[in-house]
Amino acid sequence: MTLPQGTGPLAGVNVLDLSWIVAGPTVGRAMADYGATVIRVESPTRIDTARVVGPFHADEPGVENSGLYGNVNAGKWGLTLDLRVPEAQSIFRRLAVWADIVCESFTAGVLARWQLDYAHLRELKPELIMLSSTLLGQNGPYNQVSGFGSQGAGMAGIQDLAGWPDRAPAGPFGPYTDYPAPRFALTALLAALDHRNRTGEGVFIDQAQAESSMQLLAPALIDYKNGGPALQRRGNDDPQMYPHGVFPCLVPEGREESWVAIAVASDEQWTRLAEWLDADASLSLDQRRQQQPEIEAALSHWTSSRSAAEVEETLQAAGIASHRLATTEDAANDPQLAHRNHFRRLPHSLHGETVVEGPRYILSETPIDPARPAPQYGEHNELILRDVLGLSDSEIGELAASGALS
Amino acid sequence: MLSPYRVIDLTDERGVLAGQMLADLGADVIQVEPLAGSTGRSIAPFFADRPDQSIYWAAYTRGKSGITCDLSDPRGRDLLLRLLESADFLIESSDVGVMAELGLDYETLRDRFPRLIYTSISAFGQTGPKAHYVGSDLAIWAAGTPLLMSGDDDRAPVRISQPQAWGHASGDAAGGSMLALHARHQTGRGQHVDVSAQVSAAQATLAQVLAYQLGAADPERYGGGVKIRGQAIRGTADVADGYIVLLMGPGPAVGHFANHAVKWLVDIGAAEPELLDEDLVTYADRVAAGKADPALFPRIQDIMRAAVATRTKQEMLDISIEYDLLLAPVLDIVDLGDSPQLDHRGFWQEIEHADGRRVTYPGPPLNILVDGQQQGICRRPPPELGQHNDEIYGELGLSPAEIDRLRSEGAI
Repeated sequence: MTLPQGTGPLAGVNVLDLSWIVAGPTVGRAMADYGATVIRVESPTRIDTARVVGPFHADEPGVENSGLYGNVNAGKWGLTLDLRVPEAQSIFRRLAVWADIVCESFTAGVLARWQLDYAHLRELKPELIMLSSTLLGQNGPYNQVSGFGSQGAGMAGIQDLAGWPDRAPAGPFGPYTDYPAPRFALTALLAALDHRNRTGEGVFIDQAQAESSMQLLAPALIDYKNGGPALQRRGNDDPQMYPHGVFPCLVPEGREESWVAIAVASDEQWTRLAEWLDADASLSLDQRRQQQPEIEAALSHWTSSRSAAEVEETLQAAGIASHRLATTEDAANDPQLAHRNHFRRLPHSLHGETVVEGPRYILSETPIDPARPAPQYGEHNELILRDVLGLSDSEIGELAASGALS
Repeated sequence: MLSPYRVIDLTDERGVLAGQMLADLGADVIQVEPLAGSTGRSIAPFFADRPDQSIYWAAYTRGKSGITCDLSDPRGRDLLLRLLESADFLIESSDVGVMAELGLDYETLRDRFPRLIYTSISAFGQTGPKAHYVGSDLAIWAAGTPLLMSGDDDRAPVRISQPQAWGHASGDAAGGSMLALHARHQTGRGQHVDVSAQVSAAQATLAQVLAYQLGAADPERYGGGVKIRGQAIRGTADVADGYIVLLMGPGPAVGHFANHAVKWLVDIGAAEPELLDEDLVTYADRVAAGKADPALFPRIQDIMRAAVATRTKQEMLDISIEYDLLLAPVLDIVDLGDSPQLDHRGFWQEIEHADGRRVTYPGPPLNILVDGQQQGICRRPPPELGQHNDEIYGELGLSPAEIDRLRSEGAI
C-alpha cells in the first residue's frame, strides 16, 4: 500500500510538502528528483501563487499552464486539502506520521492554531524532521510579516544593493530570497535525515529566508557591524576590477537590444584588451578608473560594432571573463547548457510536452530524470488517500463530502 | 548533525561558502591553502582595524580549521592524500583542469578513495564547450540569464553590488554533496559532484529561464519590478525615508492583499468607503466581463503610492503587519545592523579571533533544534594561515620535528 517508489539515493524517503510558491517547493523538487516520494499538499481554495505567475505555456495564463509551478514541483504527487476543515486536519496528521520530512511555509503560528505545528506533530512522531520556512522566522517582533520573496529581498538587504547609486533600487529580478533559501534548507534537511538515520532523533528547522539569504551578504554585514562602511549599491562597479560592466553590442535582427558583460580582473588582462581599444596598455587599476569616461567610450564603441557572441568569444579566447547577457532563447540554444542536459522535456497530459530545468548539479554515479511533471490540481487525491492511507472508496466519498478536498 | 564527517576544503574565494554550510551543520572542515595563502585572502572588503585581513575570507572560513599545503610539491600532495584517508568529502573550485595537472582530479583519486565524495565548483561545469571559459560574478550572472532581467529599462542591466553567483553555486555544492552522501549510504561508493555556477545562477530567474522554450515572452527589466507583455510594474515605492517593496495587484493570488490595502486607505481617510465594496480578487474577471471599471485599480494604486510616500519604512512595516499587506521595507545595511527582529533571534554572534579581537558575524542561516536542543553556528574563528598545521599533520602521525622539517622545506 504505497505510491510507486522513486529510484535514487532518497528512495524510500517520504516527504509531505505543504510549502508554497518557490522557496519551499524547490526543496521538495530536489528531493523528488533523487527518489523521495513527495506529496505536495495544496489548498483547494487559495491558489498557489506559482500557478498564476508565468512563464506560461504558449504565453496563456492558467493554473495548469505555469512553467514556474511546473519547474518547482516536477516529480511530486498532488493532493488538495483544506486544512481549515477538521477532517482534512485528521488526514494531514496521518500523512505526517507517514512522512520522514514535513516542509511548510505558513505564516508563523497558523499551523499551531490547528495543532499541526512541530510541537504537536512531534508527539505523534518524535523522530519527525520538519522545516518551517518563513520570511523572517518563527519568533521575534516581526514574525507575522507575510509576503513573497520580493518582500524578503527588501528585508534581507538585497533589494537596496541592486541598482545605481543615483536612483531607487533597480533589482534584483523577482523574489530573490527564494533563490538562496532552498539551498540552505535542502542541505540541512539532508543532514537531519542522516542524523536521524544514525540516532533516531528528530529535527526541527526554523528557516528565516531572509537570514539564509543574508549569508550571501556576509562580507558587507561583517564590515558594517565591525566599524566599517555600510555597502551601498554601486551599479556594476567592482572594487577590484576595471573595466567591469555591461556594454552594448550590435543588435541582431528581431531584437531591441543586446549586451555583453566584461570583467577585467588584472593588469595583464587589461594589456590584452587595451590593444583592441588602442588604449594605454600600461595603465594600473587606479589609473584606469581615473580615465573611466574615455575607457568606457572606447569600449562601448568597440563592443557596439560587434555581436555579443563575437565579443564574448574574442575576450574569452584572450582569457578575459565575458559573456553575452543571455536571453532565454540564448539559454535554450546555449551549447554548454545543452552539454549538461540542463533542460528536460517531459510528456504532459495537457500540453503534450513540458520543459523543466534539470537538477543544479551533476552527480556522476546518480544521473536523474524527473519522474513526472508537476501534479495538476488534486491530480493524485484518490491515489494518495487509497494507496498511502488505505481509505476505502466510501471513506474517500465522505471526506470529499466534508469539504476537506475542495 | 554532521559530526561524523570530515571535509577537505580546497576551495578558493569561489567555493568557500560550501564547506562552511557543512561546518555549521557540524562537519569537521579543514580549509587547505597554498603556502602564500588563498587568493580569497585578497578579496575585498578588509577589516577597518586589520586592513591586512579580508572580511570576505573570514566570513566564509569561520567554523573551519586551516592548514597550508603546497600541492605542487610531491611531499605536499602526499600529505593531502594521507589526509584524504580520513575524509568523506573533498570540495574544490579551481580552474577546470588544474586538479588533473596536480594529479588530484576525481578520476585519479576514485580508485584509491572509493568512498570519497568529490565536489567541484566551476563557472560553467567540468566538461563542455565553455568548461574553460573564464568565470566571474558578472559573466556568470549574464550567462545564467538573471542579469538581463535586472535593472532600469533606460540603462544597462545591473547586478547586485555584493557578488552573488559563487554563493549560489556553493549552496548547490553543499546540497549536491549531501545527496551524494545519501547515495553512498546505499552503494558504499562516493562520486563526483559537478556544480556549474551558470546553472546555479539560472535559479535566480523564477523559472523565466524557461520562457522561450515554453513559448512565453521574456520578462523585461523595469525598476526593480518587471515589464511583461508591455505592462510595467515597478517593484518599489518611495516612502519618506527610503523605499518599500510594494507589489499590489488584483486577482486570485494577491487580490486579498489589495483588499486589505483598500481597508487601510479607507481607515486613514485616503479613499472613499464605497471602495470597500470592490472585491479585488474577482476584479480582473469583472473588468473582462465589462462589469467593473478598468480605471479603478490604477486609481487605487495612485492613492496607495501617495499614502505611503509620507510615511516611514518602519511605519509601513507596522501597518503591513496590522492590515496584512503585501509590502515590506527596503532595508539597507544600517537597518539590518539595528534590526530588532535579528536581535530578538540572536542573529549577530561575537567570535574571538586568534589575535584577540572580538568580531561580530551574521549568525546561523537556519535555527535548528535537534531532539529539541538548540544548535548554534560553529563558533570557531576563521583560521590564520596554517594555524592548525601542527594539530592536523600531527594527527597523521608526523612528529613535531618532521612537521618542522616539512615547513622549512616549503612543503607546508
